[in-house]
Amino acid sequence: MDHESSRSQEHSAAGPDRSDIVLSAAHISKNFGGIAALADVGFDLRRGEVHALMGENGAGKSTLMKILSGVYTSYEGTVHVDGRPVSFAGVRDAEDAGIAIIHQELNLVPELSVADNIFLGREKLIAGLIIDRKASSRAASALLQRLGIELDPEARVGGLRVGEQQLVEIAKALSMSARILIMDEPTSALSSAECQRLFRIIRQLAESGVAIVYISHRIDEVMHLASRVTVFRDGRHVLTRAMAQLDENAIISAMVGRDLLASSQEERDAGGGTVLSVSNLSLSKPDRHGWRTVLDGVGFDLAAGEILGIGGLLGSGRTEILEAIFGASGGRTGGEIRLDGQPVDIRSPRDARRLGVALVTEDRKTQGLHLQASITDNVALPLVGALARFGIRWRAGEQGLARHAVKALGIRCEDIDQPAGTLSGGNQQKVVIGKWLATRPRVLLLDEPTRGIDVGAKRDIYDLIFKLARDGLAIAVISSELPELLHLSDRILVMADGRQTGILSREAASEEAIMRLAAPRRTISRPAA
Amino acid sequence: MTALKLLSRTKLYWGLIAIFLIGMLGSPISSKGNNIFLSYGNLLDVLRQVSTTGLIATGMTAVIITGGIDLSVGSLMAICSVVCAMLLTVPGVTPGVMLGVPTVAVVTLCLGIVVTRFIFLNLARSRAGADAARDVRLDRMRGLVTPGIVGVILCCLVLWFLLPQIETKFGVLGVLLVAPCVGLLFGALNGFIIVGGRLQPFIVTLAMMVTALGIARLTAGQNNAVLPVYTGSNATADFEILRSLVFGIIPMPGLFFLGAIMIYGAVLRFTPFGRYVYAIGGNEEAARLSGIAAGRVKIVTYAVSGLLAGIAAVLYVAQYRQGKPDAGAGLELDAIAAVVIGGTSLMGGRGSLTGTFCGVLIFGLLSNILQLHNINSNLQLVLKGMIIIGTVLVQERNAADLLSYLRLPLSPVRGGQAAHNETAAAKRPSQETPSLNLGGNKK
Repeated sequence: MDHESSRSQEHSAAGPDRSDIVLSAAHISKNFGGIAALADVGFDLRRGEVHALMGENGAGKSTLMKILSGVYTSYEGTVHVDGRPVSFAGVRDAEDAGIAIIHQELNLVPELSVADNIFLGREKLIAGLIIDRKASSRAASALLQRLGIELDPEARVGGLRVGEQQLVEIAKALSMSARILIMDEPTSALSSAECQRLFRIIRQLAESGVAIVYISHRIDEVMHLASRVTVFRDGRHVLTRAMAQLDENAIISAMVGRDLLASSQEERDAGGGTVLSVSNLSLSKPDRHGWRTVLDGVGFDLAAGEILGIGGLLGSGRTEILEAIFGASGGRTGGEIRLDGQPVDIRSPRDARRLGVALVTEDRKTQGLHLQASITDNVALPLVGALARFGIRWRAGEQGLARHAVKALGIRCEDIDQPAGTLSGGNQQKVVIGKWLATRPRVLLLDEPTRGIDVGAKRDIYDLIFKLARDGLAIAVISSELPELLHLSDRILVMADGRQTGILSREAASEEAIMRLAAPRRTISRPAA
Repeated sequence: MTALKLLSRTKLYWGLIAIFLIGMLGSPISSKGNNIFLSYGNLLDVLRQVSTTGLIATGMTAVIITGGIDLSVGSLMAICSVVCAMLLTVPGVTPGVMLGVPTVAVVTLCLGIVVTRFIFLNLARSRAGADAARDVRLDRMRGLVTPGIVGVILCCLVLWFLLPQIETKFGVLGVLLVAPCVGLLFGALNGFIIVGGRLQPFIVTLAMMVTALGIARLTAGQNNAVLPVYTGSNATADFEILRSLVFGIIPMPGLFFLGAIMIYGAVLRFTPFGRYVYAIGGNEEAARLSGIAAGRVKIVTYAVSGLLAGIAAVLYVAQYRQGKPDAGAGLELDAIAAVVIGGTSLMGGRGSLTGTFCGVLIFGLLSNILQLHNINSNLQLVLKGMIIIGTVLVQERNAADLLSYLRLPLSPVRGGQAAHNETAAAKRPSQETPSLNLGGNKK
């Protein structure tokens, strides 16, 4: 395998060969309003290596990368590129030095074509005035070909899948002849097939001499791909070693000092009465060609104290089930929903909240939180009206809710008036969950509750979900990570193409069984762990 | 550090103080040796002049915090000024009466229902105790029947007060009731179209701006007619009260402006409604998914914006002794400028009425200073535009940002840091971080 060869290469290059080092950062410190995001960390990068940078959210990985790519311009410490000290005044400077960054949130213009995006800001021109579409299309297609990407340079980026958009970003970085490529969580929104393709391209780039910094939470990916690993914790450098000298447990313990799935699920009494009962649920959404059916014939019962997992591929209708129940689908729904045996008509999230149904959405930044507002304001938002008396807000009551949430969920923060946007991903997620727990729901719907959060916070969330189930909440949880789904669920409902293809009991559930049901017509390749 | 923070947090007031100082120091001196700018009469004039813009900016602030914009306020003010002047000066059933009185009836009916339901809801909540997570619902009697009856009674009372005035002419209380209601109705209509049709506030209120101007002209009768209002001769004398000084200190329009700022400011700060306004501007999707009736909140902000335009119209009529279809032309832009100078973000989610108050005053003092120096009115416009940009730049960016825009090197800071790094590198041996290559540092 090619990554084996790159690993042996790394062994031979392990000596202190200074000429190989393309980028080094030393004694970097950075504060945000008195809080140290980075404290005297060092980092170096060799030509042609894939260097994984790991750590929990808030460990300082992204901060360092933003410094190296010229996003943050004020910091302490020194950065050398090719042995020369540099001080970037902006992203443009970093690009000129050959450093390109691909952020977790992609920076593409959806309405422009692939070629236009690749050459955005550096358009190929005729007579210095008119955009030369043919030339840029040709150059783009040559670039894509070199990367082995099959994409039409004229395709509109907004119409591409996330995985394909990611590849456009890579092509864009390479078009600037970047020698150092920083990738921040590139696989967080990719399917496994897309991941495989991305890995192939990353390896190919490394072989051609590009140095790659690869930030990820997924340990299996990193073990698969990287030749060296650096781990940060709480803004400090913990270790830098060759991948071959480490195993999964060593990395995890370096990151958190704890073991993730070790807390085996305790025995719970999932035999409470049925709380939520859904039958023949269907949903159609408007699109350009009229109404499109996105859900059909979904039905399940959910008992108090039970955790129902919902599995399936992206776009299989998982999220739509929860949205339809919560009254947030923005389409036409059919079928029947009963709460405690009573048929209910939930037309809006407002209705759902009143009936004790809560939804923690997939994307906490766009759907869950008001990032500039304080923890208090976020947690208390659904109840501000209910707490108020004769139109005057009851601040003390709101703060009480927030304090309770911070304590009960272990939200790590300075104080409850801190803006939610300043928290790490895991703690932001806890704020969203805390917001809904404050409304004391009977049914809790969780959509990808651990997406993009770090290992330690993940475990907190697992423990929390178990505890809530023990307390008698009926919980439905969506997850793309099969081990997580198997770990959490009492039963697993699997979706494919908007249809329910089966409900697996705990005994019958396995990764293979889920994948079989999730892909009745297609064969799916899983990443080799 | 903290001093700098304090400075940047209070920079609004510094802007206000700065412009005040400029006005004071640069003021022309009267023949008696008095500072004209600081004279009581002049400062009162400023307050009187900013009142109409100020009222409109007050309503605009909440709309902008939700992430919207209201371009129609100038035209709504025009309609209301025409209706107001017509009711004051022409007896009988005029277009003003036909537009105004039914509107008041509808508005008071709705208001009665809403207020009664609100009271019942809060009584029920108090009885239910401190458990906020439990939902309180009103039964049919308390939720619908009683509020309906209260609404009808309120409506009848108001009509009993207004109908006799049609035959004679409307007094000051009459127009103060009718004009704001007309504004409120049109404002609410803005909101309904924006929310119901899921359209951009910009385009909806732009369309309303044109439509309302047309309605104002149609109501006025002959194209673009000016309706003069002379208290004592063609209008009732009590209308003069809107021109008077309250307690001999504050001009009446100023009192309305200050009152509006304080009441709406308290509403935005202390009520759930205010919290929702900010939440919607910050992240509308998250607010909606939290079970907040985002549409309803937005409609209310537009309705209040219209209501305040209506009040501003009555004050305008009193001040200029006329109502006319081009009364509020261009006012919406002045109001938006004042709001933005006051630090409210056009992106929504951030801003305050204290800021708007300062913004309005900065704007007003500026005009006053330019007038005192007899600066050509066209040149005044140029200066005003430039000062808006300057103020907003200072509001939105801090000094370091501004310097880096100009690519000015902050050399003393950088130099200091480099020196610090050298010593730091010398102190710390490299064993902490095995992969760290210190050799590169010394090259």
